[in-house]
Amino acid sequence: MITAEQKPLKEIIEYISPYDRILLVGCNECVTVCAAGGRKEVGLLASALNLNCLKQGRTIDIKEITLERQCDPEYVEELVSEIDRADAILSMACGCGVQTIAERYKEKPVFPAVNTKFMGASVSQGIWAERCQGCGDCLLGITGGICPVARCSKHLLNGPCGGTSNGMCEIDPDVDCAWRLIWERLKALGMEKRYEEIMEAKDWRPAGGGGPRKIVREDLSL
Amino acid sequence: MQKLKDIQQNKSNNKSVLVIGGGVGGIRAALDLAESSRNVILIDKSYSIGGLMTQLDRTFPTNNCDLCTVSPHLSENTRQIHLDIQPMTQLEQLTGEAGNFMATLVTEPRYIDMDKCTACGECYKQFPEAVRFTPGLDPRAPTCMRYPQATPYAFSIDMEKVIDIKALQKVCKAGAIIPHDTQKKTTVEAASVVLSAGAQLFDPTVLDNFGSGQFDNVVTGLEYERIMSASGPFQGDLVRVSDKKRPKKVAWIQCVGSRGINKADVPYCSGVCCMYALKEAMVTKERFAESIEATIFYMDMRTYGKDYELYFNQAKNDYNVRMIRSRPHSIIENNKTKDLSITYAIEEGLQKTEEFDMVVLSTGFRVPETTIELANRLGIELNTHNFTKTDHFNSVQTSRPGVYVCGVIESPKDIPETMVQASAAASMAASDFPIAKDVSLAENEFMPERDVSMEALRIGVFICDCGLEIGGVVDVDKMVEFAGTRPDVVVSHAVGYGCSSESMIMIEASIKENKLNRVVIGGCSPRTHETKFQDLLRRAGLNKYLVEIVNLRDQNTWPHIGQPKEALDKAFKLLHIGINGVRKSRSLMDYTLPMSPNALVVGGGVTGMTAALQLANQGIKVYLVERDSSLGGLAKSIRKTIEGDDVGSFMTQLVNDVSAHEKIQVLTRTIIVDHSGMPGRFKTGIQSGPRMNYMQLNHGVTIFATGALPNRPDVYGLGTHDNIVTQLELDAVIEDDPDKIKSLNQVVMIQCVGSREPDNPNCSRVCCQAAIKNALRIKTINPDAQIFILYRDIRTYGFQEDYYREARNIGVVFTRFSLENRPEVKVENDQVSVFVDDIILGSKIQIETDCLALSTGMIADDETTEDLSMMFHLPRTMDNYFLEDHVKLRPVDMSVRGIFIAGTTHSPKTIRESITQAYAAAGRAQTLLGKKEINLGAAVAKVDGSKCAACLVCVRACPYSIPFINEDGYSQIDPAKCHGCGICAADCPAKAIQLLVYEDDQILAKLDYLFGGLN
Amino acid sequence: MENFEPEIVAFCCHYCAYTAADMAGSKHIYYPANVKIIRVPCTGKVDTIHIMKAFEKGADGVYVAGCLEGDCHFKNGNTRAKYRVEQVQNILKDLGWEIERLEMINMSAGMGERFASTALEFTKKIKQLGPSPIKIINTEKHQQVAD
Repeated sequence: MITAEQKPLKEIIEYISPYDRILLVGCNECVTVCAAGGRKEVGLLASALNLNCLKQGRTIDIKEITLERQCDPEYVEELVSEIDRADAILSMACGCGVQTIAERYKEKPVFPAVNTKFMGASVSQGIWAERCQGCGDCLLGITGGICPVARCSKHLLNGPCGGTSNGMCEIDPDVDCAWRLIWERLKALGMEKRYEEIMEAKDWRPAGGGGPRKIVREDLSL
Repeated sequence: MQKLKDIQQNKSNNKSVLVIGGGVGGIRAALDLAESSRNVILIDKSYSIGGLMTQLDRTFPTNNCDLCTVSPHLSENTRQIHLDIQPMTQLEQLTGEAGNFMATLVTEPRYIDMDKCTACGECYKQFPEAVRFTPGLDPRAPTCMRYPQATPYAFSIDMEKVIDIKALQKVCKAGAIIPHDTQKKTTVEAASVVLSAGAQLFDPTVLDNFGSGQFDNVVTGLEYERIMSASGPFQGDLVRVSDKKRPKKVAWIQCVGSRGINKADVPYCSGVCCMYALKEAMVTKERFAESIEATIFYMDMRTYGKDYELYFNQAKNDYNVRMIRSRPHSIIENNKTKDLSITYAIEEGLQKTEEFDMVVLSTGFRVPETTIELANRLGIELNTHNFTKTDHFNSVQTSRPGVYVCGVIESPKDIPETMVQASAAASMAASDFPIAKDVSLAENEFMPERDVSMEALRIGVFICDCGLEIGGVVDVDKMVEFAGTRPDVVVSHAVGYGCSSESMIMIEASIKENKLNRVVIGGCSPRTHETKFQDLLRRAGLNKYLVEIVNLRDQNTWPHIGQPKEALDKAFKLLHIGINGVRKSRSLMDYTLPMSPNALVVGGGVTGMTAALQLANQGIKVYLVERDSSLGGLAKSIRKTIEGDDVGSFMTQLVNDVSAHEKIQVLTRTIIVDHSGMPGRFKTGIQSGPRMNYMQLNHGVTIFATGALPNRPDVYGLGTHDNIVTQLELDAVIEDDPDKIKSLNQVVMIQCVGSREPDNPNCSRVCCQAAIKNALRIKTINPDAQIFILYRDIRTYGFQEDYYREARNIGVVFTRFSLENRPEVKVENDQVSVFVDDIILGSKIQIETDCLALSTGMIADDETTEDLSMMFHLPRTMDNYFLEDHVKLRPVDMSVRGIFIAGTTHSPKTIRESITQAYAAAGRAQTLLGKKEINLGAAVAKVDGSKCAACLVCVRACPYSIPFINEDGYSQIDPAKCHGCGICAADCPAKAIQLLVYEDDQILAKLDYLFGGLN
Repeated sequence: MENFEPEIVAFCCHYCAYTAADMAGSKHIYYPANVKIIRVPCTGKVDTIHIMKAFEKGADGVYVAGCLEGDCHFKNGNTRAKYRVEQVQNILKDLGWEIERLEMINMSAGMGERFASTALEFTKKIKQLGPSPIKIINTEKHQQVAD
C-alpha cells in the first residue's frame, strides 16, 4: 500500500489561505488504511482549519467529501457537482490522487494535504514500514523474500557492507541490516548457496531510470 | 391486548406467594419472586408500604441515604403482571398446606375509590385532619422518601375524624370519595407464605429511671434519627427539644431494655443498636458540628458484622467518639436548664457524674402483641422471646411447612441480614411451586411500535420538580416555557414527580394524544431512571430509544443548590442538549441471546452444597466445583452448634443429597483456570481430577462459596504444647474424648486471637459463641471444671445472649483484657500458665491451666479470592473477602451481574448464617435464570459496508476481538457479541462504524446546541 | 473579561465519571455549573473529531473523564482516550492554542469528591486562560461594529 502522512498544519493553512471555499477530498483507499486521508482525517482536518479561521475572525466554507479512489478518473468525476462551489481543492490522497484531480479540474488550484511516503506494509496497528521501491525488476525470489533495494540503506545487491553492527544498520541502530535478514532467512531455508552467488550490477532503467514509467495492457485498454 | 388479557388470565389461574409485611424485607422478597416470574401478593396493615427503614435518616456503614440509587428497578411491566400490593390489609386465616394454602385477607376501608382517585391531593389540602397522607414509598423498590408521591395509594381517610362528609366529598373533583366504604374480605390461593412483619422498637417510657417521655431532651435512637432527618420535626436541624438549641454534649446509652433481667427488660441482644449509635454519633459530628461531644455508654461493643469493626475504629479514632464501658443506672434532669446528668461507674470501680445536653436511649427490638396474634393465625410456633421459631439449619423455615420468615420477626438483625433472609425466604417460597414458565415479557403484550421514521418531529418535554429537589432550586415553569419555544416541541409540561405513577400515566396519555414521536424527560439521572421511562414509551407505542433523560437533579440542582441562577442557566442548556439530542434518535431493536440455563457453584462446603441443592431442586443443572478431594469444607470439622445440633449428621445428609442429585455434577479436585463470556452466558475453564483434565463449563450464573480459612496465628504458644489448642480442636476433643474433658481442672479460653488486631482488624464473629458453646459443653461433662474466658467484648448478638447468661450463671468466669494489655502465656515444666491483668481486682492473676483454648477465628482465603477476583473481575475488601455490590441492600450480589457470593467468602459467619446466605444467593440466581433470554440492549457497533475500507483498524482495536472482515470484504460486527464500548467507532478511519444509541450525529447535535444555540 | 464564565464540556464515561458526577450531586458537593456533561458509554468512544467540534462550537475547555487507569470497563478504552487527547492537544498546539484547554482525567465511580474537585480546578484553570481564542476575536469584532 501507498503510505502517507498529514502535512504540518502550517503548510496546509498557507496553501489555502487565499481561498474562502475549500473542497476537502479524502480517499477511501491506501490513505484511509494508513489513517492519513480517509473520512475521519478529512473531518479532523476540516475541524482544525475551521478552528484556525475562527480564531482569525473569519469563516471558511469547507466541503468534506471522500472518494472511493482518487487515482481513478471515474471516481474523481464525482466532484463535478461540487467543483463550482469551491475556490480550491485540498486533497488528502497520495500524489497520484492529487494529480488525477489536477488533470481533471484544470481551472481549480489543487493542493496536497499529505506527504506521500512510500510503499509499505503494516507492521502492527499504527506502524508502517517501507518494503518496496518499485524497481521494476523484482529480486525477492533470490533474496529470501527480503528486498535489499528497499530495505538496505545503500541498496546494495551484495551485502552486507562494513556498516553492519550486531545485525543492525549503521545509519540507525533501530534499522535491521537487510543483508543480515537475508542471510538468516536463506540459512533457515537451507539456501545458503544463493548467498554466495555474486549479483551482477542492476539495470535501473525499469526502476525509472528510463523516464516516467507506464504499463499498457492492450487487452484491457480497448 | 389479547395477550395482556391472557397474561392476566394466567395470573388469576396461577397461585401466588403471599408476602406479609411491606418493610424492606417484604419488598425484597416480593421483588425477587416477581423477578423470577412468580405472582406475589404483598399485604401490609399500614396505609402504604415501606416499614421501619423509611424512618431512618441515613444507614450504616455507608452513612448514606442511597436506597433510590441502588435498588434494582423492577420493570414497570413485571410489576404490573406479577406484583399485587394490598395496603391496609391483614391476614385473617390460613388453611391448607404448602403448595395449596387458602388465605383469607381483610382489607380495611380506605373511603377512596382508587380507580377514580387522581391523587391530586385536594382533599388532603382542605381537610388535613381527616385525610391521611402517608407518603411512604414507591412499591417498585424499597425507594426512599425522595419520591413521596410515588404511590397514589398514599391517601386514605380517617372516617372517625370527618366532621362534614358532604364537604369532603365536594372537594374531590374525581368523585372518588366513598363514605360508605366497607371492610372487604377476600380469599386467595397461595403456594407459600413469606412472613416479614418486622418488630417494634422498645418504648422506654415504661422505665422509670431514664426519664423517657418525661424529660424533653431524652430521646430514643429512632426519635434522634427523625430529628436529624430533613423530613423530620426540625427540618433536619439538630436541636434540643426543650429550647431548640444545638446540643454541645450528647450521650448514648446502649442496651436500654435489652440484655437485662429487670422488669420490662428482655434478655436478648438487639444486635443493631451498637452500630446505629456509632452511626448517629458520627453523623452528628459530620453534619452538625465537629465540636459536639459524642459519648457512648456501653457494656460490650458489638460490631460483629462485615467491616463493622473498622466502622467502630473510625468512630473512635477519626471522629473521637468517646466510649465509656458502663451501664448507667439513671438520668436526672435539671428542672431549669433541662440538662441531664448521668451517674455512672467505670470499670475500675470509680463513680462519676457528668452533665449532658441530650441523651439518646439505644432501644432495641420487641415483638408486638399483634405479631404474636398473627403467628397464631398462621399456626407457627414462636420461641421463648416470641420471635418466630425456625429450623436450626434453615433460619427462614418456620414450624409450618410452606410458611417462611425473614427479617426482624425471626430474630433481631440489621438491614443487610434482613435482605439476605428475604432473598432466602423468596427462594424457599418459590420452591413450593411447580417450576414456573417464563411469562414472556418480551414484546407481545405491548401495543405494536409505531413507525415514526417518516413522521415529522413531534417532541414532548416533561419536567419534574422532584419535590424541592429540582423545583426548590430552579424555576420549573421557566424551564417548561423555555422548552416550549424550541422548534418541533409540541408539548412542554411540568409533571411534579415524573416517576410517580400518576405522572407516568399523564405522560403516556400525552404521548398518545399529541402523537408525540420523541420524548425528553427533565428529571434525575438516566442511570437510575432511564429504564422506567423507556418502559413508559414502550407502553405508549413508541420505541424505547426515542426518549432522552436530562439529568436536572443529580447533575444540576443537587451540586448547584446554592447557585440558583447558574443552575437555571445550566438547566436551560442541558434541556437544549437533550431536545436536540433526541431529534437524532431513532427506533432501535434490542439484541437478545438465549440464557444459559446452568449454574456454576464454586466451593463444596456447606454453603456451596446448600446453594447447589436449592438450585438443582428447581430443575437447574448445577456444576459444583470443589478443589479438595471431597465435599464438606470447614463445617466438616465442627461437631455441634451452640443450639446443640449435630453438625456431623447434618453434613452427611447434605453430602449424600448433593452427590445423589441427578441435576448436580460434583467436580472434586477441580480448579478454575479461565473465565470469559457475559452475564447469562459465562464460560469457565476448569482442570479436574488427578490428571487435571481441562474442560469448559457453560453457565448463566455463578455462585462463589469458597469459604474462609481457620486462622492459626503464631501467638500464645499455639503449637508449642499439647494443652494449647484452638477452639475448633477443643470442639472435637469434647465430642470424641469425654474422659479427657472429665480430667480437666482449669480451662482458659482467650478470645480475639488474631482478630481485631492491627494486621487483621475485623471481628471473626463466631468465636464468642464458639467459646461459650464449648464452655457449656465442658461444664455439662465436667461440672467441677473451672473455666475462665478472657475477652475484649463479648459479642453474643441476638439470642446467643441466652447462652452467655447461662454460662455466667453456672460459674464460667469472664475476665476482660484490652488490646494494650493482652494476657501472657508461659510454659514451665510442662505446665501452661496464663497471666492476665484483672481490671476489677486491679492486679495480675496467674491461672495454671490444663487446657488453653484459643479463639482464633477466621481469615480470608487470600490466594483463592485473589485468583478468582482477577479472573472474574470482582472487587475485594481490604482484608481480602469478596466485596458485594452494595453492603446494605445487595449483600449477595456482586457488581458483575450474574455473580453471587455466599458464606464465609463474604465474611465470617456461623453455619446457620452461611446456609441462609446460600439460599439467598440461590434465590438471587433464580431471578436471573428464570429468564429465557438476556437482553444486550441496542448500543452495538454497526458497520456501513459501503464506507468500509477493510483497513483492519477495528479488528485490531476491539478489546474483545469481535470484528472480522467478511466474505464481502468489509468489516462485520456480531451484535450479539459486541460489548458496546464504541472504541472501533471512534478509531475507524473511514467513519464506517457507528455505535447505535450514541451515534456521532447525536453527540454532535448535543455539542451544537450546548453553545450559542440559545440565541 | 473579569466576569468570564467559561463553557466547559466534559465527556464522561457512563461507568465511572458520569456515576461519580451523580455521586457528587447526591452528596451535594458543589462544583461549578460551567461544566456540562456529555455521556458516553466509554471514553474509548470519544472521537478526536468530537473534541475538535466542541472547540469549534465554542467550548473554552474540554475534558475527557474516564475510569481509573487499568479499571476501564472495556479493558483499555480510557488509555485510547488518553492518546486521542494527546493527538488533539498536538493539533491545538499547531494552531497556537493553549493545550491546557484539553485534559484527560481519570476517576472511579465512587469518587464524587474527585469529580467535584477536578471540575473546580479545571474551571479555575480555564478562567485563568481566558476565553477561547475564537471568542476573543469575535468579541473584538463585535466591539468594532459597535464602535
